[in-house]
Amino acid sequence: MKSINYKFREKLNSTIGGEAHNFCYQCGACVGDCPAAMYSPDFNPREILLQAILGDEKTLTGENSPIWNCTNCYTCYERCPQAVRPVEVIIALKNICYQKMTAAPEVREIVDSVKATGRTVKITSLSDRRRKELGLKEVKIVPMEELRELFEQ
Amino acid sequence: MKYAPFFGCMITVKYPQMEAAVRKTAQNLGMEFVDLDGFSCCPDPIYFKATDKLVWLTIAARNICIAEEAGFDLVTMCSGCTATLSEANFHLSNEPELKEKVNKRLKKIGKEYKGTISVRHIVTVLRDDVGIEKVKKSVRRPLNDIKVGIHYGCHLLKPSEIMRVDDPDYPTILEKLFSAIGAQIVHHDKQALCCGKACMSEEIPERMTYDVLTSLKKSGADCMGLICPTCFDEFDLGQIKLSRKFNQDLTIPILYYFQFLGLAQGLSPQEVGLHLHKTKTDEIIRKLNNSHS
Repeated sequence: MKSINYKFREKLNSTIGGEAHNFCYQCGACVGDCPAAMYSPDFNPREILLQAILGDEKTLTGENSPIWNCTNCYTCYERCPQAVRPVEVIIALKNICYQKMTAAPEVREIVDSVKATGRTVKITSLSDRRRKELGLKEVKIVPMEELRELFEQ
Repeated sequence: MKYAPFFGCMITVKYPQMEAAVRKTAQNLGMEFVDLDGFSCCPDPIYFKATDKLVWLTIAARNICIAEEAGFDLVTMCSGCTATLSEANFHLSNEPELKEKVNKRLKKIGKEYKGTISVRHIVTVLRDDVGIEKVKKSVRRPLNDIKVGIHYGCHLLKPSEIMRVDDPDYPTILEKLFSAIGAQIVHHDKQALCCGKACMSEEIPERMTYDVLTSLKKSGADCMGLICPTCFDEFDLGQIKLSRKFNQDLTIPILYYFQFLGLAQGLSPQEVGLHLHKTKTDEIIRKLNNSHS
């Protein structure tokens, strides 16, 4: 029989959006309309919540965690009768992965881009030219000194 | 009616044709945009939110503060920006502890989140402030013969307790807006499916996009109409890649609602930037011109 890793559950409880995992009673309402579950037998939000309840840190926050296949469509948020908001629990798990350096590389790239330029998409001479052709003004400057302050604790 | 527009990163830099279409059509509807200084990325509700929700909320709150200081509602044109800014506004208004944490961080830059403005996707402004009748009245060249398959995308509607836009399972807002400009709406099987862009698997979103495009083509639609630059990315550029991969013609024009509105108001295809799309839109232009010749 599996033993429950309460330490990991405590960590999840203290992460924004993670605490609601405690209320999951495994009804499976989140599964039926989940597009990722529809298109992949390996993704199942109910199972992810079960692993959270068991505190299965290795499966959920390891390099090949299933959580990265969530499409972030928020349908489970609509369907859950317990207000668990499975997608928010999944995002809380992603936050833990980011701390542990096991997050998908795309995630780090986006954050690095915002840290460096204040945007997720890089301004290029082509984008400037296109804006000009369409009669649009130049892209406004992001006050980076302010933004950088907010990245720090 | 004055609003603070928030165009975000994707529209501003990657798809400025959407910004051009919004600015030109909104003006024709009597909306006044007050462009504020200092906005950053919303920040992104998928990747950025996946790193640290508190930093994500704080940077979102900073953007909201800029609009609060100016006293205007934030109007968003991208479903992603709508998601981030609406969620942040909701949580910070309803959870005093979270607001305190965020404000402690914002204090370092001399800002404070108060919760005095609303965040609204521009389609809700059209429906609720401008009104469908006024949208209708702005039309000079109705899209009579053009059959549009709608793609709602996820983040305009869900989570409904936060977004409060429409019924999340049976929405009508876009049908109302497309009908107002004379388009024929064609329903298709996969119209409520997610575009898949935020899923990090390679295979899952490809199959989802494939299903949406094939269901759209089967329905007899001439094109897809949508309201989100991320969904646009997945379907416009995506269909070229998928056509190659599956050795099947999956090409169909994808247009942003305000480009359709612009055409209906008499703007030229060039003015709404249709030439910047990966998929050719000639057939739609031809149909539009024929119905008005």
